[in-house]
Amino acid sequence: MSQPAAYVITRSRLAEWVGQLLKQAQVIAPRTVHGGDTAYDVVEDPSQVAWDYSSSINPLKRFLFPQTEELLRWRRPGSNGLQLEPTYDETDRIFLAVRPCDVSGVLFLDRVFSREPEDIYYMTRRQHSALVSLTCGEPGEDCFCVCADAGPFLESGYDLQLTKLSDDYLVEVGTEKGRSLIAPAEHLFAGAPDELIRARRDIEKDVDDRFEEHKAYFAAALRKVTFDRVPDELWDGMADRCLECGGCSFVCPTCTCFLVADWPEGENGHRERLWDSCLYSCYTLEASGHNPRAQRRDRVKARFFHKLSYQFAKELEAHGCVGCGRCITACLGSNDMPTVTARIRRGAI
Amino acid sequence: MQNAYLPDLAEIASIRDETYDTRTFGLRFVDPARWEAFQYRPGQFVEVSVFGVGEAPFCLASPRDGTDTFEVTVRSAGSVTDALHGLKVGDQLGVRGPLGNGFPFDEVKGRDILFVGGGIGLPPLRPLIWDMLSNRGDFGKMTVLYGARTPGDLVYKDDLERWRGRDDVDFMVTVDVGDETWTGNVGVVGTLFPKAEISPETTAAFVCGPPIMIRFVVRDLLSMGFAEEDIYTTLERHMRCGVGKCNHCLIGDKYVCKDGPVFSYRQMKTMMDPG
Repeated sequence: MSQPAAYVITRSRLAEWVGQLLKQAQVIAPRTVHGGDTAYDVVEDPSQVAWDYSSSINPLKRFLFPQTEELLRWRRPGSNGLQLEPTYDETDRIFLAVRPCDVSGVLFLDRVFSREPEDIYYMTRRQHSALVSLTCGEPGEDCFCVCADAGPFLESGYDLQLTKLSDDYLVEVGTEKGRSLIAPAEHLFAGAPDELIRARRDIEKDVDDRFEEHKAYFAAALRKVTFDRVPDELWDGMADRCLECGGCSFVCPTCTCFLVADWPEGENGHRERLWDSCLYSCYTLEASGHNPRAQRRDRVKARFFHKLSYQFAKELEAHGCVGCGRCITACLGSNDMPTVTARIRRGAI
Repeated sequence: MQNAYLPDLAEIASIRDETYDTRTFGLRFVDPARWEAFQYRPGQFVEVSVFGVGEAPFCLASPRDGTDTFEVTVRSAGSVTDALHGLKVGDQLGVRGPLGNGFPFDEVKGRDILFVGGGIGLPPLRPLIWDMLSNRGDFGKMTVLYGARTPGDLVYKDDLERWRGRDDVDFMVTVDVGDETWTGNVGVVGTLFPKAEISPETTAAFVCGPPIMIRFVVRDLLSMGFAEEDIYTTLERHMRCGVGKCNHCLIGDKYVCKDGPVFSYRQMKTMMDPG
């Protein structure tokens, strides 16, 4: 008998399932953190999962591409001669109840880091991780995933996709890895009857309809950025609003700029990579003192070219935006994606 | 899966002073098998690690010849290059590469070849010049023009003498400012163009040097009638990873580390970045 493509689990049994998952791997899920925010974080107990959250203050990026990540260690065992040892993180992780925009963010990172040459540090973490998505029944205040084709439901890319119905969760199986998360607790699940799958479709349509007011003008921005038809004064205006804090880059699920630094420890030491932001003035500064993007305007332009141009959209199969809306919260100068695309479309601040 | 960020260990086999602030290091892989796999073409580069200080990109400055060493020429200008200058023969460092695309070679066979180097811009051209001289019959007329700020800034003085002594290459050198011993040409490298016999229609030009020099030389070559696709140069950008991941060297959608560092002027012209 073939296995069902979708299951159902009642809400009261979720905790027991999460208990099973906690035996298999580290579980990262939305949980309430200091100040009452919700953030994806390691949970130690099923009760910590904030199932009814709206969105997480951070994307999953830091678990797969940490803000500081050790790449290798060197040792000098004798008087001369070095030994190098790379550092890989092979921790098994289950990302649970992740919003579709953030799953889309991970899928974007997959494409960035699997391009030749593959990034072994990211790929190692990724191969040891499973993605359990939780679809959105309600658009969040800043959400525009529908414009970025990144939510509020996913067609693929998840290992499991959960949808909250009235008292139950529908569980769609995306991969064999996803099925293996159910297997040890199969008694908690039942095959999903057709009417529940229909109910899920109705919810999806209903949510889609309620995204009416949430807009990012990607098509207009793509054309103008690709063909360099954004007036310099507009970039100047946005540069004036940029504080170079790097916040937009750090909260962005798709930003991947990094720098590399060595940390000596006596004769030994380690090398790390650290998140960087292309908006920082020394990002392109050369040892000679020459800085090809000394003007902030050129840095703002470069950032949105990378995110919005056809060249990169083609290469990475998507805009560098999943519509999570975090840059709206992070940027004090309103250089967030919906506002920037609207300015580009209009040709004015 | 290969680890694109993990260097191979190499030791310093030789150190040669080029100028008051520039040295050439001969490097040899600790693992001899690594050298076998280290097949590179002129124009490619390596990331060199001084562990505890960091990593920086340097062009491969010597042809892959019968030895088991390769050279990088380093001007002391920042933390990694200063640390490199503090090392001695036998010290170990890390090497990743070869990286980048390299100069066209087979593609320009049968053409006349013009090299224009400025100061520390000669190192990327040097292995190409020697490779072409080793396959001299495959190329037409060869001209090498080299300029530096002062006689003290000229690198590879042995090579310069050997090129000067050959009758199958036209070689000229100039300095912006001479000194009491200098009896040669004075003026920027572009002042050598009228003295050289160059046929723009049949010639491919390879131009390396500081950005200001490249700008003026390209302008001169275009006004002489060179086609945009016949002018090749190398671009420099601040780099971290060297493999198209960290994004520091992006110009528009082109990674200098991966799509370059060699670009034709026709390609460069369409690249969107200012500077």
